[in-house]
Amino acid sequence: MKERVLVAMSGGVDSSVAAAMLVEEGYDVVGATMKLFCHGEDLPDRPCCSLDSVNDARRICQQIGVPHYVLNLESAFGRDVVDDFVAEYARGRTPIPCVRCNTFTKFRDLLHKADAIDARWVATGHYARVVDGELHRGANRDKDQSYFLWGIERAVLGRMLLPIGDRSKSETRATAHRLGLELIAEKAESQDICFVPDGDHTKIIRERLGADAPSLSPGPFMLADGRVVGNHDGHARFTIGQRRGVPGGFAVPMYVVDIRPADRAVVLGPRDALLGSGVIAREMNWLVDAPQVGRQVEVQIRHRSAPATAEIVRLAGDEIELALQQPVAAIAPGQSLVVYDGDRVLGGGIIEASRRARPGLPVLAA
Amino acid sequence: MADPIYLDHAATTPVRAEVLAAMAPYWDGRFGNPSSVHRWGREARTALDEGRERIARSLGADSDEIVITSGGTEGDNLAILGVWRTRRKSDNRNAVLTTPVEHKAVLGATHQAAIEGADERICRMLPNGVVDEATFDALATTEVAVASVMWVNNEIGTIQPIDRLAALARSRGIVFHTDAVQAFGKVEIDATKTPFDLLSISGHKIGAPKGCGAMYIRRGTPLEPLFHGGSQDRGRRPGTENVAAVVGLARAVELAKAEREEEVARLSGLRNRFESALLARVPDAVIHGRNAPMRAPHITNISVPGVDSESMLMALDLRGIGCSAGSACQSGSMSPSHVLEAIGVGRELSGAAIRVSFGCLNDDACVDRVASVLSSLVDKARGASPAMTAA
Repeated sequence: MKERVLVAMSGGVDSSVAAAMLVEEGYDVVGATMKLFCHGEDLPDRPCCSLDSVNDARRICQQIGVPHYVLNLESAFGRDVVDDFVAEYARGRTPIPCVRCNTFTKFRDLLHKADAIDARWVATGHYARVVDGELHRGANRDKDQSYFLWGIERAVLGRMLLPIGDRSKSETRATAHRLGLELIAEKAESQDICFVPDGDHTKIIRERLGADAPSLSPGPFMLADGRVVGNHDGHARFTIGQRRGVPGGFAVPMYVVDIRPADRAVVLGPRDALLGSGVIAREMNWLVDAPQVGRQVEVQIRHRSAPATAEIVRLAGDEIELALQQPVAAIAPGQSLVVYDGDRVLGGGIIEASRRARPGLPVLAA
Repeated sequence: MADPIYLDHAATTPVRAEVLAAMAPYWDGRFGNPSSVHRWGREARTALDEGRERIARSLGADSDEIVITSGGTEGDNLAILGVWRTRRKSDNRNAVLTTPVEHKAVLGATHQAAIEGADERICRMLPNGVVDEATFDALATTEVAVASVMWVNNEIGTIQPIDRLAALARSRGIVFHTDAVQAFGKVEIDATKTPFDLLSISGHKIGAPKGCGAMYIRRGTPLEPLFHGGSQDRGRRPGTENVAAVVGLARAVELAKAEREEEVARLSGLRNRFESALLARVPDAVIHGRNAPMRAPHITNISVPGVDSESMLMALDLRGIGCSAGSACQSGSMSPSHVLEAIGVGRELSGAAIRVSFGCLNDDACVDRVASVLSSLVDKARGASPAMTAA
């Protein structure tokens, strides 16, 4: 038998197939479902983290003949992921909790559990690949999840298995059928953040910071010139580039172009005002030797956006600044900046600010 | 891998061959409903009554003092809610008194009573895992309808002074219930000697199937039923009786009682052997409740500082050894033990707790192997350098 691998299993099709493939390949597979967040006792089924999902993972493991454990990582996840999520919104930013979950929960805390059971490897059902010790995009661009994985420690790549990274979702489902995993083969995909099962992220902010948290309290809608054009009921409900919830009555469609928590202001502007010609990111983590200033790379400033060509103009400590060849719309602080070279993930960081392509022009109300 | 070793007898036990054999005729041939008038019914009814009588005899009770339940949880609920709901009306006694180390069935039922308006009173524990009798005394006032104290703690195995607590409760007019799920077959239980009013036992801890249990109800104890329906079990527990399980339970109860002294000696020997072997190799291991004046022979609960129990249980299971942590939630993940918290064990030590419970499947050889595997896992966990993490 090959070495032992601890597989993070959510009870969904991707991680179930990943585990089953590793069994087929002869690994000594151990399944684990991480209990990350308690929804309370009577929440109906959710795609992730719920009791039913745990039960599905356990049944799959039983079927493929491997042990399964539930790991309670609630307190660490609360500290590393949920607290940060809430704090970022309070700062007027738009966090991606899945990135921190991968960095801290799956590929650090889970790795410690792997150590405890002498597992050489940790595997997940991510659509990404490890090729010659480097992280690569999933072979299928539609499903590629490499954007969420930039934060893991470089050395961890040597212990990571991503068995489904070279296939498409439909291929994964087909494999599930081929392996007889009918229980989960057609299971709906989880789109939501696991601890925001109903899509309303303000609930968790309210829970942690109180209903009177400044980020959930009324504030002004403003234009770039400071004119107040309405009121909103909490800047945490908004993100850069958002149109939903923005007042109408302007000559052109208006978007959220800035969030200023100090005065609770949500700044509006036309589409042009969303364009950025440069981007600054912090907490940079390199998965290859750090590139040099002047190097041309590709960057992605959100999941599923097309990569944009950029040049590294500054590197200082864990901070990076890039000049974009073409302006990019809606660069949102708190989202991830991931640096690519084709399929290779070079590294990533958290977007701190964008450089505006042009100063926001006054916009007249219609 | 060597043969797997089951060290979780406090969680459940296999059904004994004698019990299985006793039950066998009642699945098919003697399948009747005990309430039916015909021969099939009579046959079942006779078996049921005999089973009840044998259970009663084993507890020092009369037949009419035994109600068949689905197990410990039902007994605990029936005792607390059944008595409190009756006495709050009839006697104007609105308080429920219990301890913080009870099984969740008792704590949950007490909490439910509180939701319905009860005064919930929780007495203090001593660090050795025994009830602080002074606080029990102070809280056991004439407002208390029912008090519930478990005889043997399911997580740490400490034995509570049920004789004294029950006598004290009686002197104040309090109905006294004891959850004896872990105690039956391990301590002497006799309703003619100890003044408890209610006592719950569970079949699957003593070699009978899951889903059956019995409750002793002293004559004259005020108690309303949880379920409503037919007149089975004098209306105290309506529903067609599980005849086969009652027959099996009766057999298991008799066997456990007959074998008690011998089994206690054997299990104490295994436990002591295990604890000495482990402490010899891991001298700073903490055995919770070890200083209690009385301990049940089959449970030992150990924390090794700096070792997390979740990882340890996985590693043990992968080596074929089945133990448990204090308490498990429904998903199978662990949460900090309320028992250890109540006796003042800090978060770090309680997060390291492993419960080992001995029983019919264990002998000296497996105890030696487990002590050796466990201590080598401890060495490994402690020796793991940070570099290993990303080797």
